[in-house]
Amino acid sequence: MKEFIINTDEIANLISSLPADKWDILAPAKDGKSFDYVLSSDKPIINSEAPPSKISFKEYFFPKSETLFYYKREANEISLTEPKFAEKKLLVLAAKPCDAASLPILSKVFNWDYKDEFFNKRVNNSVIIGLSCAYSDESCFCTSVGLDRNNTKGSDIFLTPFNDKQYVLSVVSDKGDSFVKEFLPNLTEFTGTKETKEFIDNKPFDYKKTKDWIAANFENKIWAETGEVCIGCAQCAFVCPTCHCFDIVDENCDLNCGRRIKNWDACQFGVFTKHASGHNPRNSQEKRYRQRVSHKFDYYYEKFGEVLCTGCGRCTRGCPAGIDIGEIVFSISNQ
Amino acid sequence: MPDLIEIAKGLLESKEVSFIIGYTKDRFGRVKPYIAKSVEDANNLMFDHHSIHNLAVYLTRLKIPENGRVGIVAKSCDIKAIIALIQENQIKREQVYIIGMNCSGVVTHSTDEWKKENIQIKCKYCADKAPMLYDAVAGTAEPFEQPDDTQEVLMQKLETMSSAERWDFWAKEFEKCIKCYACRQVCPMCYCEQCLAEKNQPQWITTSPTPAGNFSWNIIKAFHMAGRCVGCHECERACPMGIPLTLLTRKMGMVAGKEFNYRHGMAIDQPTLVGSYNFNDNEDFIK
Amino acid sequence: MNIYKPELVEIKDIIEETPDIRTLRLQFKNPETQKAFAFKAGQFAEYSVFGEGECTFCIASSPTRPEFLECSFKMAGKVTKAMSKLNIGDTMGLRGPYGNHFPIEDMKGKNIVFIAGGIGMAPVRCIIWNVLDLKDQFKDISIIYGARTVADLVYKNELEDWKKMAGVKTVVTVDPGGETPDWNGEVGFVPSIVEKVSPKAENTVAIICGPPIMIKFTMPVLKKLGFKDDDIITTLENRMKCGLGKCGRCNIGSVYVCKDGPVFTYTQMQQLPDEF
Repeated sequence: MKEFIINTDEIANLISSLPADKWDILAPAKDGKSFDYVLSSDKPIINSEAPPSKISFKEYFFPKSETLFYYKREANEISLTEPKFAEKKLLVLAAKPCDAASLPILSKVFNWDYKDEFFNKRVNNSVIIGLSCAYSDESCFCTSVGLDRNNTKGSDIFLTPFNDKQYVLSVVSDKGDSFVKEFLPNLTEFTGTKETKEFIDNKPFDYKKTKDWIAANFENKIWAETGEVCIGCAQCAFVCPTCHCFDIVDENCDLNCGRRIKNWDACQFGVFTKHASGHNPRNSQEKRYRQRVSHKFDYYYEKFGEVLCTGCGRCTRGCPAGIDIGEIVFSISNQ
Repeated sequence: MPDLIEIAKGLLESKEVSFIIGYTKDRFGRVKPYIAKSVEDANNLMFDHHSIHNLAVYLTRLKIPENGRVGIVAKSCDIKAIIALIQENQIKREQVYIIGMNCSGVVTHSTDEWKKENIQIKCKYCADKAPMLYDAVAGTAEPFEQPDDTQEVLMQKLETMSSAERWDFWAKEFEKCIKCYACRQVCPMCYCEQCLAEKNQPQWITTSPTPAGNFSWNIIKAFHMAGRCVGCHECERACPMGIPLTLLTRKMGMVAGKEFNYRHGMAIDQPTLVGSYNFNDNEDFIK
Repeated sequence: MNIYKPELVEIKDIIEETPDIRTLRLQFKNPETQKAFAFKAGQFAEYSVFGEGECTFCIASSPTRPEFLECSFKMAGKVTKAMSKLNIGDTMGLRGPYGNHFPIEDMKGKNIVFIAGGIGMAPVRCIIWNVLDLKDQFKDISIIYGARTVADLVYKNELEDWKKMAGVKTVVTVDPGGETPDWNGEVGFVPSIVEKVSPKAENTVAIICGPPIMIKFTMPVLKKLGFKDDDIITTLENRMKCGLGKCGRCNIGSVYVCKDGPVFTYTQMQQLPDEF
């Protein structure tokens, strides 16, 4: 891995020098008390110690609502048109490792057999600059799902703080390499050693053990105990970097035209699996919560060899009913 | 005064209630809703200024046995929701054993200190900090410095805006909505078995989190709260996107108060605003 | 390629099977697409009514008759209601074929028992015609079909055709109380008719599709007759949106009905968690 030293003013230069008609920049910014990824923010925050944003950046790769095609009826003829795709590239600056890692995880489901070009185009059109993380609270557990503060999974370029004014820039992917050659050609090579903070995992668990337990415990009181407290909203799924369920609906502009859209959807909604006949295989919150945990730690791992979770802890921080998925998995793993 | 755990133990031991909806602390000290089903479970119950969740939501989410009774730990603002549910015939008075808590104001996050800046605005207007309907009372209310009503400033600003400016204000706020329906799920007054937003024959509300879909959902939800919102502010707390939803419900409440002299959730035998008709009801303000 | 964009199809014919079930005969607008469209019995597709949305059902016609595609549906939800209002000549959308299929190659040289209830006949009809069109490659064929009432029987003309075919035993039944004065078929629930017909299990594959309650009570009958779990094949349905293994609603445990199914052997079904 090629490594360079980059100064904070060189980062500032990069932001101002990227041609605005060709590049959008997505970076964390502060909104009141909380952080958010903001598009073309004039005050990007490059701070390892910042907490994760309220909501992950998946919206820029898997939008909350996306047009799949337009339909138009003229006389009795129907015509379908493809949506136009933005040509602009996206630079994600200072992505948390637990956000960056979600892209290769999501790529598995969007590319097994049938390839979702909407997701793929957006990922191919982006460059992710990850930033080593120095934050942790009682909701985080990235190390338990095979990641860590300095994990470069999903990043094209990775920054590690070296001192107050400098970062070590590591080139992770070919895309990152081309980006550095094009926009940061004059960096000095780094040959020293990096020091980083150790992550304290409050709820260490073994995800392989968890998977086996879930597979063997489809019926268990843990699902009912959580299901009765869960109020059945989709906060957890929508702030999550890896949740990817969606709905497909038609929206008319008038009687003769409209578009088919893909919208975020979530397994916690009762109507999600309800048949037109009224039959519902997951007809209680208990079953729906079991589905969420099982999908993340058993089904996805079984199918794709990846845990559908990066341990970012957002679902827990925001849960209106105070449910902590990490605690559930921790207790499962320690049974 | 007997404390919460003692009361709870007694109720569960005598089987007077089948379970108690209350609060507990996890091992990191974070307060969360908890269902106590046994005398041992009762030891885990607690109440403090982090007990922000309005547990009345569980009265319609959980199955209460037809002739059974459940216990609920409730602060004054939550009791209003319980009264409202009784007024709207969703539960019967005898189905709930209310353990009313003397409350000293609540704060939003587990990490928030109990101090003026963090105490919820709704606590400022909680005229009756002592429970108003209860079967037992526990806890001690401590005096606290009242929070500033930062929302009132915004409310007044909205009043002075033209309708086009107000539209722009809400368009910007609703743009954030991701249709997670946390506002609906956390609301004790949103108990419909099938929400209007889930009906598609006909499609009343556009399901997409697009400008059209977000406007129709948030406005219709607000209208359904007219004369029904008890002001617990749970919708705004639950919203992951920080939409100031209580600006709408508070405005609705003000209109109900001004035009009909009505406040929901005050007395179990009072007919509801939308469920009763008075020939002299003012309708001049409806344009 | 946009995997969510359907091909356009034209409705060539509409058959009113029952008061609430219809069959649409569809043809691709583009003859090249029609020629290239290859599927196997048991696969399903996503059908669009533009402006209303998409819904999922099996292809009910046989791959041996490639000039048309047929689907049969019950008017239940938003899209099926909209479909029922379409006329001959109208345009719809179609994506597919998706999912796995009946193991027709492995069924060759064997006796086949088809058991269907209600609209569950649609996927079975597809494989019935497929087998009948290649009849010399199979042994004895039995078809046992039941519906609630005489009016609820689908493919009524074809049931008559099958009855007349040599080497095909066709038994049609209606639930007690569902018969008409001139009904000359059986009266009784499917499981008891299966027991009465008592097909031999040796060298036989049973294909069964119908309401869960019918499947539940027919399985013990088939077991009693000596059918092995691997030789009982069914097709499941679940709510679907994408049909592509992405949208997340049709899974039963780690099995995606849209990709790993919809066709399962009874052995496989027993390994699934009880959530369908």
